[in-house]
Amino acid sequence: MTEPLLQVNGLTRVFGGLVAADAVDFSVLDGEVVGLIGPNGAGKTTVFNMIAGSLAPTSGSLRFRGEDYVGTPAHRMAQRGIARTFQITSLFPTLSVLDNVKLGTHRHKKTGWWGATVFSAAYRREEQEVDDKANAVLGFLGLSDKGARIAQNLAYGDQRRLEIAIALAAEPVLLLLDEPAAGMNPDEARRLTETIGRIRDTGVSVLLVEHHMRVVMGICDRIIVLNQGNKIAEGTPAVVANDPTVVSVYLGRGATGA
Amino acid sequence: MRRFVFPRAAAAGVAMLLLVPLAAVGSYFQHLLVMWMLFALMAVSLNIIVGYLGELSFGHAAFFGLGAYTSGMLTVFGGVPFWLCLIAAPLVSGAFGLAIGYASLRIKGPQFAILTLGFGAILHSVFLNWVDFTNGPLGITKISPPRIPLLGLEISGGIPYYYLVLFFLLVSAYLCRSLMRSRTGRAFIAVRENDMLATSLGIDVFRYKLLGFVAATMMVGVAGCLYAHYLKVITPGLFTLHYMAPMVIMVIIGGKGTVTGPIVGSLVYVALLEVLRASGSMRMLVFAVLLTLSVIFLPGGLVSLLPFWRGQRGGARQHD
Repeated sequence: MTEPLLQVNGLTRVFGGLVAADAVDFSVLDGEVVGLIGPNGAGKTTVFNMIAGSLAPTSGSLRFRGEDYVGTPAHRMAQRGIARTFQITSLFPTLSVLDNVKLGTHRHKKTGWWGATVFSAAYRREEQEVDDKANAVLGFLGLSDKGARIAQNLAYGDQRRLEIAIALAAEPVLLLLDEPAAGMNPDEARRLTETIGRIRDTGVSVLLVEHHMRVVMGICDRIIVLNQGNKIAEGTPAVVANDPTVVSVYLGRGATGA
Repeated sequence: MRRFVFPRAAAAGVAMLLLVPLAAVGSYFQHLLVMWMLFALMAVSLNIIVGYLGELSFGHAAFFGLGAYTSGMLTVFGGVPFWLCLIAAPLVSGAFGLAIGYASLRIKGPQFAILTLGFGAILHSVFLNWVDFTNGPLGITKISPPRIPLLGLEISGGIPYYYLVLFFLLVSAYLCRSLMRSRTGRAFIAVRENDMLATSLGIDVFRYKLLGFVAATMMVGVAGCLYAHYLKVITPGLFTLHYMAPMVIMVIIGGKGTVTGPIVGSLVYVALLEVLRASGSMRMLVFAVLLTLSVIFLPGGLVSLLPFWRGQRGGARQHD
């Protein structure tokens, strides 16, 4: 397959008179970590939500694994292998950590109410698989000892890791992370960088929207820079960091001449 | 591999329910037990919507009324046997549940509650005013008691009827328990807790809400059928808040989102209704105060006191 995992072409979204995303093009390849950065209001979250299927584009095309999917409901895209986290911590607050992660496995299982009622062999097998998967994911993220805790009682950093755990339990092909390092201290951010690296090692592609430069520069294979809805640069962290347009956007207009 | 576990507490509860009639002396006490069972069945079904899906429906009494009228009208006007009514009632309630749920479940929160209130009021008006079809405010009378097909035995009077309704209550309670242990039930809870996150995990929020709503309306349709054949008289009053408010009280006071909560809540309701009978219309005031206190001080309902009573066993559940 020569086509990239995710292909974004001319993606545009208009809110009233505001063009939040203006003909954005980029792609994400298999096993790649791509960063999407830009100053506040650049349209990162708009693009992110369109890719996740929760916001309809005004125009443009989105292809995932070679299939056009504009207009497909978000839950169906999740079933096809796009998992996401949210900018503001989003968990199942009153459930245990383990139950939170179990919910991630939803798309891979089939048995339901009837299987549980008649206690079928398929139901028992699947529930065991769900338990095993949830425990494995908790182990992967270092949350094993917190499985019985109620999600809303976890420390902030643990909650953010739990969000990633829920998404990973869905065994995605493409993982979308919306500002996962927001509010993290340097230590937690370093740990996050390391976690994203390990996620890539399992073969999952990651699209990362992030403000935290150390995280973005430290882990991304490629970075796309947005400003006022337009893509202004794309390339490896080193290339992007030295791009005069990017520098001017981040440091102010006057900085280019300096 | 998992083994089937039947918790000791549940076994004790079932045994208690089976043995209670032995202590029931006098037909009035037996009548109260039947009413408890009927209310419990209604409350258990409402709990699927309120407790599991996390939406408040004020239209549930209307589906109860639909089940009762389907059953009553088929019996009295059509001479249809009881067991066929028992199939028809949930089908009719469920069909209306499907239509109304389809029209309203994309809306959530207070707006959904108001919509269901509206649908309930419409159904009430129809059954009250379409006199040629439903007998209007006079209701349906002389509904014959259930008859066991081959033996020709009538199930009437307190104790036999208690066991009849208890059977359906236990089936419903078991269905709720298995729901909560299934992937379907997990999806219900996910929808209740965070529908955006549920969607992002591939859960079709609308479909699961519709499934729960239809299941609940079918269950309350069965309750309506059993109610009609027990009291033998039904009126359009069944569709109204006179039946809706108690159901909400039972679910909230007992403990929403649990299997036993609604059953305990309905026992408290039926018992208090009798204890406070002398105080007349003051009763509703007492219930209102109880509901308020319960929401403020005991949001998990009466059954949330159970883990304290049972000591440390309320902690994390261990898997095999």
